[in-house]
Order: sequence, then structure tokens, then C-alpha cells
Amino acid sequence: MLDAFSRKAVAADSSGAFIGGGELASLKSFISDGNKRLDAVNALSSNAACIVSDAIAGICCENTGLTAPNGGVYTNRKMAACLRDGEIVLRYVSYALLAGDASVLQDRCLNGLRETYAALGVPTGSASRAVAIMKSAAGGLITNTNSQAKKMALTSGDCSNLAGEAASYFDMVISAIS
Amino acid sequence: MKSVITTVVGAADSASRFPSASDMESVQGSIQRASARLEAAEKLASNYDAVAQEAVDAVYSQYPNGATGRQPRKCATEGKDKCKRDFVHYLRLINYCLVTGGTGPLDELAINGQKEVLKALSIDAGTYVAGFAHIRSRGCAPRDMSAQALTAYNQLLDYVINSLG
Repeated sequence: MLDAFSRKAVAADSSGAFIGGGELASLKSFISDGNKRLDAVNALSSNAACIVSDAIAGICCENTGLTAPNGGVYTNRKMAACLRDGEIVLRYVSYALLAGDASVLQDRCLNGLRETYAALGVPTGSASRAVAIMKSAAGGLITNTNSQAKKMALTSGDCSNLAGEAASYFDMVISAIS
Repeated sequence: MKSVITTVVGAADSASRFPSASDMESVQGSIQRASARLEAAEKLASNYDAVAQEAVDAVYSQYPNGATGRQPRKCATEGKDKCKRDFVHYLRLINYCLVTGGTGPLDELAINGQKEVLKALSIDAGTYVAGFAHIRSRGCAPRDMSAQALTAYNQLLDYVINSLG
């Protein structure tokens, strides 16, 4: 598992180079925006249950066949597994956002997920859609522009970079399973 | 590669929970000290050649024949070049450690197996210690870098010296 800092070390080591000026610039912005990053991770973890259940309820509303007999989340057992998987995906995205690097998400969550879902017969279209809903919810929560009353009271600043970074991790999940 | 953030994430993952408030505090603490570390890394990256050269000179003033190893060297410059190469290698790993904020790069890429290699090649670890001890005493704040950065840099030099001792 790597973070933004050790990623630079691994990259530099492959060419035997020192980490100097240009390479350090991106790490300096990581440090100066550190508090924003922690707030963004907090926005995801504090609202995890809400984000996940909204996304799963969303796919069920959009596609009523899912809850019908033989549907993807027919029976409470499958629905519970779906909610659990949504939470796992969100958890690994929040780890990746905290570390500033996707390796933890890739190695521990997405590696082999497509094959697992194919073997279990999970409808990947619906699963991707659920991740896409989580992605837009996360974007709203990170930039604190969500329409709900659940806004965080914090010093406002421009978190669009972090929202973009989180969106890129959700996109990785979508491309890994679809 | 181990750092504060990967340790925190690993612990959170093995308990399968979201990053908690105390996880955030640990990361915040590491980030606060990171700017000094990065300053030291930057200064070292821009000046490592001179630092390594000073270390080699210090080694050869204390051990005029160098770390001759099993066979005597045919010429003195060969030994000096290899000595400098090794110091640059250690300094590069110190640079990585300053960036990651842990001793992972040094541990994984140099210290594991170090004693066995030096023993097999009949190289006296004291030669490296002489060089690093000289570098350790040469760093000066605020001439070279800020005091906090120098502390981080010296801490890693001490770590290397202790690993050789």
C-alpha cells in the first residue's frame, strides 16, 4: 500500500533519482491542503450510511425490476449484501482519498472484483449506477454544496480539486466492475 | 511502503471501519511536520554530490587505504569512486525517508541484509560510520537548512549510523 509520499519514493527509486524540486511541489500542495483533505474524508465517513443507502435506494427506484422476484436485490439477503458492498466501496474510496493514492483501493478492493461479481451474478450495470450515485453525493458533501440540510459547519474553501480526486476514485470503481 | 498514512489506513482496514477522528489526528500530526522534512529532502537533493564527497574525504583521512575489502585495490581512485557511490546511495534513501516520513525506504532497500553483505565483502562498517559521523557534524542551521529540517535529517543519519554499529 502506498500514499502520495511513498508513491514518489517508489517512482524515484525505479530510476535511482533523488526526489527534488518539481516532484516535491505536488507534495507541498498536499501538505498545504491537508486540512481540506481531512475534512473531505470526514465528510465521506460521517455520512457513509446516508450515502450508501441513498445510492442503493436510488438504483431500486430507477429499476423496479431489481426488487421483483429474480431481480438483483430480491430477498433481504441480497439487499443486505448490496448495502454491505456499497459501504465497502465507499470505505476504500475514503482510504484512497486520505492517502492521496489509489493503490489501497486497487489492491484491496477492486483486484478481482469483476470476476467475483460475474461469478455471483451481480448485475454490473446496476452496481455501476449505484457507485455513480455515491460519486455525485460525495462530490456534493466534499464541496459542502449538497442540497440537504446536512451541511458541515467549517471554514469554507475551494475543495473542487479534492472532489475531483474522489470522483476519479469512484470512476476507477466503475471501470473496474463494468 | 510504510508511512504514517499507510499505517493508519492499514489499521482502519483491518478493523473494517471508516477513518476515525483519531486516525485523522495522526495524519494531521504527520502533515504538520512534513514541511520541514520536505525542506530537508529538497536541500539534500540539490547538494548530495558535495555531501557524499565530504564523506569520502573523511573516510580516507581516517582510513588512508580505504575499505580495502578482501583484495587490495589496484588503484586508489577505484575505491574512492565506489565509496562515493555507496554514500550517494545511502543519501538517496535518506532523501526518500525524508519524503515518506518513515524509515521504510532505508529499512527495505539498505539496512535489511546490510551487515551480512559488509561481512561477506570484508568491508569494515567503521568506514561508513566515519563518513556519516562527519556528515552528521557538518550540517548547520540556518546555513544549510532550517533547524527543524536539520533535526529530521540528522535523525536519519543517526539511524543509519546506529544500523552500522
